[in-house]
Amino acid sequence: MKKAVLFLTVCVVAFPAVAQENDDLGLIPGAVQTAAPPAATVQDRGKYAFANAFGWYGYRGSFAVSPGDAIPSRWNDRVSADALVTWKLSDSLRLTASDVLSASFADGVGFPREAVRNDLRELYATWEVAPETYLETGRINVRNGVAFGYNPTDFFRARTSVAQSSSDPGALRNNRLGTVMLRGQHVFDGGSLELIYAPKLHSPVPMGGLAYPLDPKFDQTNGSDRVLASFSFEWEDFSPQVLAFYDAGRFKFGFNASHPIGNSIIAYASWAGGNAPSAIVDAIAFGKRTRTLPATMLVLPPVSTSRSFKSDVSAGASWNGEDKETISVEYNFHEAGLSKEGWRGWFATGANPAFASLMWYIRGYSSDRQDPISQHQAFVRADWTEPFHILHADLSGYVMTDLTDGSCTGQVGASYDLSDFWSLGAYVSATTGGKRTEWGSLRSSTSAIVQLVRYF
Amino acid sequence: MKNVLIGFVVAVVLTAAAHAAEPTGQEIIASVDAGRNPGQSFRVVDNLTEYVGGQPRNSMQLVIFATQNKATHQYNNLIRYVLPSRDAGKMVLFNGSNMWFYDPSSKASVRISPQQRLLGQASNGDVATVNLAKDYTAKLLGEEKLLDADKQTRDCWHLELKAATDEAVYSRVEYWVEKGTYHQIKGKFFSDSGRLLKIAYYHKFMPMLGRQVPAETIVIDSVNQNLVTTMAVSDMRAQDVPESWFQRDFLPRLKID
Repeated sequence: MKKAVLFLTVCVVAFPAVAQENDDLGLIPGAVQTAAPPAATVQDRGKYAFANAFGWYGYRGSFAVSPGDAIPSRWNDRVSADALVTWKLSDSLRLTASDVLSASFADGVGFPREAVRNDLRELYATWEVAPETYLETGRINVRNGVAFGYNPTDFFRARTSVAQSSSDPGALRNNRLGTVMLRGQHVFDGGSLELIYAPKLHSPVPMGGLAYPLDPKFDQTNGSDRVLASFSFEWEDFSPQVLAFYDAGRFKFGFNASHPIGNSIIAYASWAGGNAPSAIVDAIAFGKRTRTLPATMLVLPPVSTSRSFKSDVSAGASWNGEDKETISVEYNFHEAGLSKEGWRGWFATGANPAFASLMWYIRGYSSDRQDPISQHQAFVRADWTEPFHILHADLSGYVMTDLTDGSCTGQVGASYDLSDFWSLGAYVSATTGGKRTEWGSLRSSTSAIVQLVRYF
Repeated sequence: MKNVLIGFVVAVVLTAAAHAAEPTGQEIIASVDAGRNPGQSFRVVDNLTEYVGGQPRNSMQLVIFATQNKATHQYNNLIRYVLPSRDAGKMVLFNGSNMWFYDPSSKASVRISPQQRLLGQASNGDVATVNLAKDYTAKLLGEEKLLDADKQTRDCWHLELKAATDEAVYSRVEYWVEKGTYHQIKGKFFSDSGRLLKIAYYHKFMPMLGRQVPAETIVIDSVNQNLVTTMAVSDMRAQDVPESWFQRDFLPRLKID
């Protein structure tokens, strides 16, 4: 017996213990062992999708400034086909196309003239003239900036909106028209230089005009001569970018940077500035140029018509948690927008029915340019990937608050990938605030949209 | 009795001698790096398959470009999504703490935090090539016999790795490394708060670019144990990957053909 005990002792000392670490092997499904080897080849096949989005819309009934008598449809169904593809023409030449064709069905929307719309978002050729040196021409969607709610250095954003289901500023950027341009870029160790020339192809057209279904809308995106030069470089982990922008006689300069703080936070800031008139003066001047407004139209509400140096700023931080949640908080400043006093003037002027449509024209102009109408805004966005450990699900929401009056617009959304090919999404949006506030003065109060997408 | 005592003494001496020649945890992990990371820049295809309740449900195909930064000896990675179609063209850049996500639909490059490397069951941090010896401080906990994913018994070193830099994907990792071959057999990955996130089994070691690389890694979700993801690497080939690629503005330019 003693010998047996000693022998066991020797064995214990001489040989490591057999691990108890293999209980989890039983969790590996048999299908893993019998699975066929995966494809080793890869092919850039592009991205194609069909989508259907059905929405219900709620409206306010009383207004401080009347938006007009016509009440839009309370429902809308939009069917769309979407494609994003790049063709390799040679080792150094590529062609990229991005397009969405959609048809909307709603009360009062005539088919097909008003219902069918094709948005050619991008169509451009890329020539790699030398390693990491590129020349591109065509319609290109160029976006610069690091902010989520409002990007002051996103200089090519004006008049590029395309219809979509989500009102999230992030989604707005997903679907927008590019600008016809000639673009050169050189990427080098630690930085890149870019030069863009976007020619004027057409005189600016009035807002809200009904385009032909296949109209590429170059008159929207190329209504003036523009030049952009940008320089990105690496410095102390800030990834700064400086930009200079020329748009029909006006110069603007921009800067953006971001920096990680610890393991979970990214701080970012973006600034753009240049001589500019106020949003009111700019809108009325545009109305006169496009002959939407008479040449004799006074600037109302009365504001200074002179140009001065105006700044746009976005500064914020984004935090990521262990449970795959992300929260971004951002402050937006748009100096050309309406101050508290400006809003008082807007409501006072708009109370006169003769000027109500002019007041809405001013707001429509800002919206069309994707500029805030207010000077001060706060943007909060939350996203939770795999909430409650539900795979392939995502919950998100945002609130944009006008800091001059406390009114808000926001959205809560949920999406679920049913498979590699199908996705389901639902979005509920609302605006809140009193009648004499930015968001509370809108006709639109609520909306709910359900969207089903099939990818190919 | 005398014979047994002699045997005991011999065993103790042999064990002590074996321990004296034992490499340190840091040496083991450096050998793991040397054994699996190609000594040149390369590209590789990674196919991820997700099994829910034992059945394959979703799949993903990635192309990864990696090169070792000459100054830091860390690996810089560019990850390009090929499949599913929903994600085609999306990209992730890891260049130290300079990390970006690019979506071709929005043309937007969004800076991401180190924490976001953990997104996804087999996360971007898992598919990226890393220099373990640089990112972690390793401690040898002991020796164990362990069954690998194919239920073969392996003599392993059991190591505990603790993050040594902010660039480490996990704050703590346990590895079982096969003695002699320096193959990773198993890993357990923990969050900053100490929560076990996932368990990985490495198998099907194959020669690729002169190294022995696990052609398949099986990742078990420790929270939802119904969920298992396989990561199968293939078509690893040497490719010149210049430093200039590892920046935000290059992301829209990355080609996979």
